[in-house]
Amino acid sequence: MASLSMRRVDEVPDKELLARHAQGDPHAFAELVHRHRDRMWAVAIRTLGDPEEAADALQDACLSAFRAAGRFRGDAAVTTWLHRIVVNACLDRIRRKSVRPATPMGDDATFDAVAPKMPDPTDAHGVSLDVRTALEQLPFEQRAALVLVDMMGYSVDDAAQVMEVPPGTIKSRCARGRARLAPLLGHHRNRRDPKNVGGVEGGGMPK
Amino acid sequence: MNPAHLDYDTLADLAEGLLEDDQAASVSAHLDTCAECRERSADLADVSRILAEAPVPSLPPDLAERIDTAIAAESLETATVVSLEQRRGRRHWRILSAAAATVVVLGGGAVAGKVALDGSDDAGHRHSANTPAMDGTRSTVTRSGPGTAAGAAPSGEVPTSEGLRSAGYAVSHSGTDYRTGTLGRQVDRLLGKGAELKVQGAPPDGRLAGCVSAVTRGKAPGLVDEARFEGRQATVIAVQSGRPGTWDVWVVGPDCTAQNPHVLKQEQAAS
Repeated sequence: MASLSMRRVDEVPDKELLARHAQGDPHAFAELVHRHRDRMWAVAIRTLGDPEEAADALQDACLSAFRAAGRFRGDAAVTTWLHRIVVNACLDRIRRKSVRPATPMGDDATFDAVAPKMPDPTDAHGVSLDVRTALEQLPFEQRAALVLVDMMGYSVDDAAQVMEVPPGTIKSRCARGRARLAPLLGHHRNRRDPKNVGGVEGGGMPK
Repeated sequence: MNPAHLDYDTLADLAEGLLEDDQAASVSAHLDTCAECRERSADLADVSRILAEAPVPSLPPDLAERIDTAIAAESLETATVVSLEQRRGRRHWRILSAAAATVVVLGGGAVAGKVALDGSDDAGHRHSANTPAMDGTRSTVTRSGPGTAAGAAPSGEVPTSEGLRSAGYAVSHSGTDYRTGTLGRQVDRLLGKGAELKVQGAPPDGRLAGCVSAVTRGKAPGLVDEARFEGRQATVIAVQSGRPGTWDVWVVGPDCTAQNPHVLKQEQAAS
């Protein structure tokens, strides 16, 4: 992306940009968004699944951040703050849409009805579609936690800051989410490593 | 002891260190003796791996542009509120003095009216004669008053708060990062969204007034936007050209003066 190649070494820190924006610098916020929009988009599209919803959520988030910049407390990284706003914008979208049919919200009965009992090994879907449809089976909190920790590589502590919950809650949401995804992603895994046994320890990847 | 097999939830909790010590111990003991559960445990590790390896979705270019535009609009909106508040104090005497001045409304509506009012109390200029021919269906970001007035502000002059009235146009700070390929469209979008964007009120300083005047050869600009071009600080100047709906657009460096305009790019944009 062009904006990335324009980046220079003597780059202004994120917090400085945000401060400049709060003081009325008209370019500072656009610069900040240019820096982080790719990852913000990744969070939005992975959390929501639907590209149009994710696009709206990302735009909502950018404008919310623009207006809320003066209230940034400075005790977290700007990226953490931005991602929190993205996650909240996604949640708002979901609430406003009162849940698309493909996205049960923590309802075990619905989940069981939707979850494939015997995944079709001849299923031709690509990896990303598999992952996306599998993620859609999770309640929002579990999905968002896994997006941040397993997909975006956030530490549990950072994800906890983004979602404003204790680290233990993130761990628990990740554990619940992985437990639900394990049977859904099974066929994909087995296709890749037919014999995956041995001393592999535990499911999570504590960072 | 080898009770029922472990479920994914228990194994996932174990992996995250969420089990109580004694439960963790018995689960671990079970795992030592049960290949099936070890395989389940590996399934969970694979979930994290599969998620981590999923291709990163790339930001669609049209969405990037859409968000840039939304932020630019928000910038102008914010600046408008500030500048209108700043002006409020000066409103009274201005309205009084406006009685002796020609009030020009440039086709756009209420917002344009405000600017025309702000730009109209300098009785020394012949506003109506220099009103640029605006497309009546659109309103612009920056409304221009007297076309020749810009030339009246000599370059190098000390910046003055009277600049808006003497120059007859206001300088926008839309925050847009203009790009070579999309310059025309970006300008057109800002100008076309005028009704929404409203006006942003800083008058040009002496240097910029001289620069604009030199670049446009004295024509009143429809847009003077101190923004960015290809990521670098630049000023974008647009003047309505001969045909309605088309704009002559210049991109100049931040050091543009009347003597040395430092034009980075010039093109014509059509709506």
